[in-house]
Amino acid sequence: MPRPSSAFVRLLLRAYPRHLRVRERDALEAACIACLARERARLGRLGVPYAWGRLIADTITAAILLRVDERRRRRLAWHHSQHSAPKEILMTRIWQDVKYAARLLQRAPLFSLVVIATLAVTIGATTAVFTVVNGVLLRALPYRDPTRLVLLQEAIGEMGPWGFSAPDYLAFEARAGLFESIAAFRNREYELSGVEPPERVIVTRASATLFETLGVRPALGRPFTREDDESARPVAVLSDALWTRKFARDPAAVGRAILLDRQPFTIVGVMPNGFIFPQRGLLINNVPADVYVPIAFTPSDRRGFGSMYANGVVARLKPGGTVTQANVDTRALVQANAREIYPAALSGLAAAVSGSATPLTDEVIGRSRTLLWVVFAAVGCVLLIACADIASLILARAMAREREIAVRSALGAGRGRLIRQLLAESALLASIGSVLGLLLAVWLSRALVALAPSTLPRLHEIGLDARVLLFTAALTVVTALLCGMLPALELTRPRGSALKDGSRTSTGRRERRIFGTLVAAQLAIAVVLLVGGGLLLRSFSKLMAVDTGFRVERLLTLGISLPAQGYRDAASVRGFYSRLLDDLSQVPGVSAAGASTGLPLGVRDLRVFTIEQESPATRELPHSADPEYVAGRYVEALGIPLKRGRYLGAEDAAASEPVAVINETMARRFWGTSDPIGQRIAWGLESQHGPWMRIVGVVGDVKQGALNTETISQTYVPWMQVSDGMIADNVVGIMRSLRVALRGEVEPTALTDTVRARIRAIDSALPVTSVQTMSEIVKRSTAVPRFNALLVSLFAVLALLLAAIGIAGMLAMSVSRRMPELGIRMALGAQRQTLLAMVIRQGMITAAAGLATGLLSAWLVSRVLSSLLFGISPRDPMTFATVAGLLGVVALVACALPAWSVTRVDPLKALRAE
Amino acid sequence: MPTTKPPAPLEPHWFQILLALADRDLHGLAIMDDVLERTGGRMRLWPGMLYRALGRLADIGLVTEIEPPDDAPIAGGRPRFFRITTAGRRACAAEAERLAGFVAVARRKKLLRA
Repeated sequence: MPRPSSAFVRLLLRAYPRHLRVRERDALEAACIACLARERARLGRLGVPYAWGRLIADTITAAILLRVDERRRRRLAWHHSQHSAPKEILMTRIWQDVKYAARLLQRAPLFSLVVIATLAVTIGATTAVFTVVNGVLLRALPYRDPTRLVLLQEAIGEMGPWGFSAPDYLAFEARAGLFESIAAFRNREYELSGVEPPERVIVTRASATLFETLGVRPALGRPFTREDDESARPVAVLSDALWTRKFARDPAAVGRAILLDRQPFTIVGVMPNGFIFPQRGLLINNVPADVYVPIAFTPSDRRGFGSMYANGVVARLKPGGTVTQANVDTRALVQANAREIYPAALSGLAAAVSGSATPLTDEVIGRSRTLLWVVFAAVGCVLLIACADIASLILARAMAREREIAVRSALGAGRGRLIRQLLAESALLASIGSVLGLLLAVWLSRALVALAPSTLPRLHEIGLDARVLLFTAALTVVTALLCGMLPALELTRPRGSALKDGSRTSTGRRERRIFGTLVAAQLAIAVVLLVGGGLLLRSFSKLMAVDTGFRVERLLTLGISLPAQGYRDAASVRGFYSRLLDDLSQVPGVSAAGASTGLPLGVRDLRVFTIEQESPATRELPHSADPEYVAGRYVEALGIPLKRGRYLGAEDAAASEPVAVINETMARRFWGTSDPIGQRIAWGLESQHGPWMRIVGVVGDVKQGALNTETISQTYVPWMQVSDGMIADNVVGIMRSLRVALRGEVEPTALTDTVRARIRAIDSALPVTSVQTMSEIVKRSTAVPRFNALLVSLFAVLALLLAAIGIAGMLAMSVSRRMPELGIRMALGAQRQTLLAMVIRQGMITAAAGLATGLLSAWLVSRVLSSLLFGISPRDPMTFATVAGLLGVVALVACALPAWSVTRVDPLKALRAE
Repeated sequence: MPTTKPPAPLEPHWFQILLALADRDLHGLAIMDDVLERTGGRMRLWPGMLYRALGRLADIGLVTEIEPPDDAPIAGGRPRFFRITTAGRRACAAEAERLAGFVAVARRKKLLRA
């Protein structure tokens, strides 16, 4: 059978669409030949022309119809992508937009650089502050189910809250079916030895139930048990940090012994990494422990009714229990217990005792909340201002592209498409800014932690986590929208005049209003920040101006605590300190040496006292004073001025008549104008007081507590006259831990080495702690307000700068766009000064609007700062006036610079541009 | 993704193509041969007609193009293989049912023997 020419067939196949022809050449050819053969077989020779005719007709029809089908297919796909676009197509389009945006930004490197840098700095700062907020305020405490943990506290009448006294805690615990679990804890500094070098460590003495209550088990070994606690076994659980520092994470540490105040304790366990207890932020017992030992209340603790309200108590609510109920129950139980167990002599006190339960989280972070949220709000404001700046920049730049956008829109690009395209640009900028900002935030948050006051809780927990990353991601989206939405909406607003020429002669009213609003908003936010920063700064300077009552300069202080081992009885303790103070006052350069149970600007204590033969006028006053037990020439060393009588001295020995020196406030309050010298007071209530002490001197007031606290009644009592029993007491150990103060004739730091050597000469194993100058102590006590004032003012200055750039930028653009108009005005005879004034007026009206809005907002919101302020009202008129003046000047300068270019307008050039 | 509904009734050659694919995957020429054989030479598909029909059937989701099996010829381009989809199977069955309905009527009217 002769085969039909395949050359003809191949020729015919060229009619098919290319894609089909290429893929299936052989198959199509085979099909055609098969058809021809089929027809010939059916119809014989006559069939050949028919078959060819039929094949040609089929091919041509199919070739046309296949192309029609292909077009319809494409149209349908397009239709889909427009209306219910499949994800891939949408992604492709977004990718196209991003690529287009990247090209545009590449063409304007300066613009991109400025915007990205601004965003990186502001997003970085915001993220850094958020990292701190997150670590301190938002993360759950590192315990099991921390929302069920409460801190129990006692208070006496209006005083407190404090911790529990030992007998109160024991009575409470015995009946506290209220809670799933309850534990007491108390911090104390110990000398740690047995592992070189010796150091002072914070030891938390705690009930055996502490770890169970917190829901954390040791990572290694075991917790201590109830039996350990009851029989006061010397066992210890180490913190992960101490285990790392002293034992290099050696698991064999468990079972070894350490010496705490030279008494051996066996290590039974190590807490996991990240376990921190107690937390900073609590009122008392607020330093994280290195070592945990059983609290082991002594018989004298158990009898200590009405004293030493120093035990922290943490409890875990039963499932379903509420804090409110726990609070009510705690108060009731504490009151009932006090009435029942307090001795009759203390019935007055017993009636005044009450208790409370508050969420542990609130106790830890509650006092830092305002501080951190204020800083966060401040940095957020800076970001807002930066966004407004960038929005006007993008808008200004995009206005130059008005015609391009009009063309694209005329060619059929929908508004959504155009908006997406413009947003792609701001999204790209925001994303790059965020990535850089995140890197910056890592560094900035470390700087913040270093700068933060050490009293801020949970500083060690600050770090990047998923929540921070999520926050930055959200920030990126918000920033992109804030920066890009307004320009995008504004530019794609349907109008249709942009293609017409000659529409550039004057900036439209609308345009000016938009820029004006943006700038005014920036200024308003800047004003709020400036007022906040100004208030904090002024408050800080007031705080720094507070008279501490003593001479801060050239004062060296250090801490010493004598362990019971080696200093068992009162005589040895007295002997040590007498010799130490004698030796130290011999050191060349030291003009006075003394020691006290507490330094100023620290913790202030309150003790009830009774006055002998008191006048009825003062009987109703609360009789409590801050007691300081002082040795050597402490009052002179501090430089507290003597007002009347004499200082305490060597003649006030253990055997001589008990004496006291009081401060001016106490003298004025209880003796008014009469002379307190020679009067006698005693510790305790009238019905049951200690030995009478004769007042021998009146000295100036000293800030014993923080600088921002009120001055209270103070007494200085010779430490030498404290009873042997109290001095030898090692449980509380107050009288064996003294802070030494040295008044130098030279800079105190120069004395440090000599002083250490003198102490080593007396007891070589004794660690010396907290060697610091009084200036350092003052600085630390003002760390919180300093941190606050510094950060908020820094952000306020940044805000002012950004706002000034905003207003200057707006005017510069407005001037350049109005150049032809200004040219015409000038050609028609307008004076340059008139034009200058006109432009400046435009800027200053905007500035005035922003200033007014800002001052009003600041007036309304500054109250949130009141808890952070000292000595001024949150509506301090002085601050408001200063801010208004400052902003006015800055705005004027910012307006004048671009306005100046008006004076250089060449009317001819300006007109020619038209 | 089906973009339009299959017309009911199905065009006869669409029905035959679906029928050819009902039990195996085939390429164009094989479909042609199968239809020719099954209809006793009465339905003669032509290449253009066949390929356009396959394209349309794929558009509306009654058949789908599949990877050619490994033993398919490679020289001159690999022919496209087609597989009937669930929708195609359903459409084909519906058409068969419809035709069967006519057959039943014919039987009732004694045109056919039962």
